[in-house]
Amino acid sequence: MPQASERPNIYCETLGPDQFGIIEKPLTLAEQIYNKVWLRKVAILIVLALAWEIYGRWLDNPLLVPPFSAAVRALITDVGSGTIPRRALSSLEVLLVGFAMGTVLAGLLTVLAISSRIGTDFLETMTAMFNPLPAIALLPLALIWFGLGAGSLIFVLVHSVMWAVSLNMLAGFRGVSATARMVGRNYNLGGLRFVAKILIPAAFPSILAGLKIGWAFAWRTLIAAELVFGVSSGQGGLGWYIFENKNQLDIPEVFAGLLTIILIGLAVENGVFRLIEARTVQRWGMQT
Amino acid sequence: MTGGPALASRTTSGTKEMKSVSPALRGRAVPTDEAGRPLLDVRGVTMRYKTQAHLITATYRVSFSVLQGDRFVVVGPSGCGKSTLLKAVGGYLTPIEGEITLKGERITKPGPDRMMVFQEFDQLLPWKTVLENVIFPLRTTGTLSRLEAYDRAMQYLEKVKLADFSHNYPHMLSGGMKQRVAIARGMAMEPDILLMDEPFAALDALTRSRMQDELLSLWDETRFTVLFVTHSIPEAIKLGNRILLLSPHPGQVKAEINSVPRGQENSNQAAALGREIHDMLFADQIKKAPNASGQ
Repeated sequence: MPQASERPNIYCETLGPDQFGIIEKPLTLAEQIYNKVWLRKVAILIVLALAWEIYGRWLDNPLLVPPFSAAVRALITDVGSGTIPRRALSSLEVLLVGFAMGTVLAGLLTVLAISSRIGTDFLETMTAMFNPLPAIALLPLALIWFGLGAGSLIFVLVHSVMWAVSLNMLAGFRGVSATARMVGRNYNLGGLRFVAKILIPAAFPSILAGLKIGWAFAWRTLIAAELVFGVSSGQGGLGWYIFENKNQLDIPEVFAGLLTIILIGLAVENGVFRLIEARTVQRWGMQT
Repeated sequence: MTGGPALASRTTSGTKEMKSVSPALRGRAVPTDEAGRPLLDVRGVTMRYKTQAHLITATYRVSFSVLQGDRFVVVGPSGCGKSTLLKAVGGYLTPIEGEITLKGERITKPGPDRMMVFQEFDQLLPWKTVLENVIFPLRTTGTLSRLEAYDRAMQYLEKVKLADFSHNYPHMLSGGMKQRVAIARGMAMEPDILLMDEPFAALDALTRSRMQDELLSLWDETRFTVLFVTHSIPEAIKLGNRILLLSPHPGQVKAEINSVPRGQENSNQAAALGREIHDMLFADQIKKAPNASGQ
């Protein structure tokens, strides 16, 4: 039996890079196409639209489900006549004001919450009470307080945005690593400078998620509120457009209104939020 | 406020020397700065902290002095409170007894005169590039103008051989490179003392050994003062010129000794020192073992 000490040392020659068959090879065209995220998503949308079209034609009842093509025709007509852009613009105006106010208030509340224990208790109690409360339930009160107009809409928007965003911000701030905090304090950063230069960037993935949720909540609340009372100073938004057309049984136009909301949602998600993500959290390696 | 304690530590520094340092070193002349005091003076520091269920004494009446240009290494097994001690020097924790002074000023809060290099890789801010990470403290503390900060940052990034990666984000770097950025960031501030909390502990053995060599060659260039915490005896012998041994639960000074001369970390002398340190740190267990078997 061989002893351990009897084994010889072994030395090997390695092959040079030119002696291998394949080290690097481009993918086939089909593989490259399939790797494009947006192409895969567009394919999904086309399949869904086709299914809708086929079902609509088979049902043959435009009062229940008009085919996809009818909805698109209605959409094109009303976009061409300027009705939908006008309505969408008036909705977006109110939406942006409400969203911005809600976000700023959420930011203030969260900064208060992380700087003192009573602030934390305050925010936690408030979100526990108001986050489950549907904004629409406040609409009757808002109408009494602010009258029939943008004021009431903005009030319910702020309510629907604020609690969701501040909950996410607080979770993000709490998740900032102890090391990052100590690094900031090592540089003599304190107070608002510490929040702005360390906490907000470090918590940015959560803050961004909060903003996305807030944006979706704001849309839902706005359309629902417009459906309830609609006209503000003679110029209704998209919700009012849907309501009007439903009353006149112009169902393709109702679908055109819904499609507009979906399209704006897609544009904001894939345009604005995707861009912010690519520029920030993905570039920083905080999100894969 | 700061005048009182500073004066007190100056007048009593001669007598404290006798109490705190091991008997072998008694009477040794300690070189000091122009003002006649050590750069960093830790006097009788007891650290305590609370967990959910316990009040833990991390260190008990620890005293030592770090002089200008020292590579001062604190070594001890886990649970000897060495990291807690370093965080106290950093100003993150306050001792319940004793005091820590830097250049005669009592340490009360964190500050850029004591730059910290942490063990964790997430100490680099992920939203800033390598270069921005080094520039950031130089700018926020108002130390340098924009242009000067850029030059200083590039100079230190070149020292740690990372100038080519200055526009990369931290997540694109390996662990060793991240630690080199953290060291460059600390050194670029040119602090009074650089505090290092097991900065190489999370690295693989080969990278770790290379980083130790690089740290020593950086020291040869700039002769900065560093307080280094580790649990590795070979690392302490290789990096330090002066080694403080702490015993665990709670951390108390076992000894404060000189390391072997530079470049001798593989010699028999170093091996003997390593055994000596090992025996001192684990003396209690060795003493206990025969008693237990005898009964």
